[in-house]
Amino acid sequence: MKYYNFDIVFQEIPDEVTLAVNITNCPNHCTGCHSPHLHGDIGFPLDESEIDELLAKYGKQITCFCFMGGDATPQEVAKLAAYVRTKAALKVAWYSGKPQLPDTFTSFDYVKTGPYRPECGGLKSRSTNQRLYRNSGGKPIDITARFWK
Amino acid sequence: MEDLYIIKRNGKREPFSVEKIKNAISKAFLSIDSFATQEVLIDVMSRLKIYDGISVEEIQNQVEFSLMAERYYEVAKAYILYRQRHYEDREVKEKLDFLINYCNASNAATGSKYDANANVERKNIATLIGELPKSNFIRLNRRLLCDKIKDMFGKEVADKYMYLLNHHFIYKNDETSIANYCASITMYPWLLGGTRSIGGNASAPTNLKSYCGGFVNMVFMVSSMLSGACATPEFLMYMDYFVRKEYGEEYYKESEKIVDLSLKQRSIDKVITDCFEQVVYSINQPTGARNFQSVFWNVAYYDKYYFQSLFGEFVFPDGTKPVWESLSWLQKRFMRWFNQERTRAVLTFPVETMALLSKDGDIMDTEYADFTAEMYAAGHSFFTYVSDNADSLSSCCRLRNEIQDNGFSYTLGAGGVSTGSKSVLTINLNRCIQYECKNNIPHLQFVGEVIELMHKVQTAYNENLKYLQEKGMLPLFDAGYIAINRQYLTIGVNGLVEAAEYMNIPINDNERYQHFVEEILGLVEMYNHQFRTKELMFNCEMIPAENVGVKHAKWDREDGYKVPRDCYNSYFYRVEDDSLNLIDKFRLHGKRYIAHLTGGSALHANLEEHLSQAQYRQLLRVAAQEGCNYFTFNIPNTVCNDCGHIDKRYLHECPECHSKNVDYLTRVIGYMKRVSSFSQARQEEASRRYYGNM
Repeated sequence: MKYYNFDIVFQEIPDEVTLAVNITNCPNHCTGCHSPHLHGDIGFPLDESEIDELLAKYGKQITCFCFMGGDATPQEVAKLAAYVRTKAALKVAWYSGKPQLPDTFTSFDYVKTGPYRPECGGLKSRSTNQRLYRNSGGKPIDITARFWK
Repeated sequence: MEDLYIIKRNGKREPFSVEKIKNAISKAFLSIDSFATQEVLIDVMSRLKIYDGISVEEIQNQVEFSLMAERYYEVAKAYILYRQRHYEDREVKEKLDFLINYCNASNAATGSKYDANANVERKNIATLIGELPKSNFIRLNRRLLCDKIKDMFGKEVADKYMYLLNHHFIYKNDETSIANYCASITMYPWLLGGTRSIGGNASAPTNLKSYCGGFVNMVFMVSSMLSGACATPEFLMYMDYFVRKEYGEEYYKESEKIVDLSLKQRSIDKVITDCFEQVVYSINQPTGARNFQSVFWNVAYYDKYYFQSLFGEFVFPDGTKPVWESLSWLQKRFMRWFNQERTRAVLTFPVETMALLSKDGDIMDTEYADFTAEMYAAGHSFFTYVSDNADSLSSCCRLRNEIQDNGFSYTLGAGGVSTGSKSVLTINLNRCIQYECKNNIPHLQFVGEVIELMHKVQTAYNENLKYLQEKGMLPLFDAGYIAINRQYLTIGVNGLVEAAEYMNIPINDNERYQHFVEEILGLVEMYNHQFRTKELMFNCEMIPAENVGVKHAKWDREDGYKVPRDCYNSYFYRVEDDSLNLIDKFRLHGKRYIAHLTGGSALHANLEEHLSQAQYRQLLRVAAQEGCNYFTFNIPNTVCNDCGHIDKRYLHECPECHSKNVDYLTRVIGYMKRVSSFSQARQEEASRRYYGNM
């Protein structure tokens, strides 16, 4: 699994200061994708040592670590999510493009589901097909409405 | 002689004409009722050495000498006087041209020739009156300073000062005013004796009404004796005192109680917010004494630890002490009111600073940390000062000061609040560093010389200020509102990022950049210590680029220096850089970079959208962890030009009337202002800012 870059973001996960890594080799190929450059198998390997480095630099300042993509290797995402949790007291999030919640849901504090459909719009659109769930003691709570303020 | 060209005053070339010179000389003879024969004219002319490209001034100089060499002293005198009259005429003509240009300029800041940081919204006859004498003030200030430098350090130092100034290695801020720069005042002398000691006629305030009315007058008076900002860190604390005297110690617990017997039936809360309204709207009015600028007013809020540290010993004249619980309520009430009021009107002042004490990477007073985050999330725009030690405070829009004395005096009040900057002198680092490189001067040798000279200049400035005080010209000092030895002489820095860029140092958190910053700012601090005496204190500040950054960029470009942007940065990062995330920016304004900036700098975190309270709360932790002591969040507010609606968000369409004719309020320096009221160059800078990472 490789990633293209990372950023500190605020809009993706409500109330969190999130370090988001953009994972490449995305298999979903949604129509109207905002980041087509992430389709290719490019970037740097994302592994435990890479995560160590990111956490060394930003671990104390952020509240959440978010994997953007990675649907080609969901097990690997879950494994690294578990690793993040062992290393730091952070929330872990996954922006998946699959329509349903993953089996590994409990490895995350937040999971976004749903491919991007231009006719429905992104999370900020009330007609969106995408969903953001918060993990509340293993139960997924749909908090998509937080984007509709 | 036919092929010779001369250079006219406007820089244009014109064929040399013997007749014109003959005419001028003949007229000079006629003016003393004499007559120049052909022979006389030829004698005088034969002494002139005309060459191609000679200037008009040079020819006239030669004519003077020639007339004297031929012993026509009376004629020479007439000729010299004639030249002087024409010189004065040209000066009036220049002023006239300026007047016409100013009238035609798109706004007041663009029209201003000398000092574009005019916090005026629109140009008019009053602002024009303020602009016209500015060039005279500059000349007068330079003369005053140079004479004093000559006295103290010799002619060579004075000449070098003028050389560095004229060649834009340094910049003297606020040269268009003769008053000292800015001050954070203690209001205790006013509380004891009213404004008489500073030349007013008001006695001490005795109730809430006289406090609010008197406060406005007092701030106007103080501001008219300063060229920059006036900070009143005790505004709310004293107000709380008068509210308690009037409505009881526990007024804040029954703020809905009706206390007004008029038909209005006003509650305590309404009485208080009416006071806010009176003070804030009055102070935001353009002022006659300041050429239609509003006064530049700052206030401060404290968490309970800062309050303890600053006012723990404080006693009001009636022997009572300030009360944290009611002050805290009043602080919050003012902030919420002001945030709300700003959706109704463009209110630039006060610039507010929240002072928070930190420990172990978080804010100690969690109630105030949560409240601060709540206010940012509610769209309020203000500064936060975070320190792990209550020994420093920022009470102005950026000015940070070490608190000299936290003690209390029965005549001067709280020692910690009285501070300010007497004068700011700024080094243009981009030019200095490039000059060193181009002339193979060892790194920082020239910079060191410049910084040392700046300290001498500031020392001379201080002597002039002492002279003014001795002559009774500075009642603010005499009356104890500010103390001359508690005010700093400020060494400003500008062009730091640009200098590093020139040296190919990446502008992000890396060892080379950190070392570069430490080295330069450390050098300033070394001289600050070296020149410090009992009556001289220096600090170093990254000045807000206001118009100086624009001027430096323009001058440096004209003189062939490398200039990467039209306005030099006021930050440790490049304002248009989208590769740095928000945490990186806090880090670049964190302790490793700002350690030597004793006078402060401000991180303006430009964001496109507001964050949630929880997110701002986390960013306060980031600030505490990184040691970023002064910052604000800047989200452009939208003002509808058609219906006047103000929205805290950054929108392209008015949500009320759906007009697309909108303008934005943003911070350029310390204060919020319409983007269209900025000078042209500042508007361009604002448009290039990266409102990041959404």
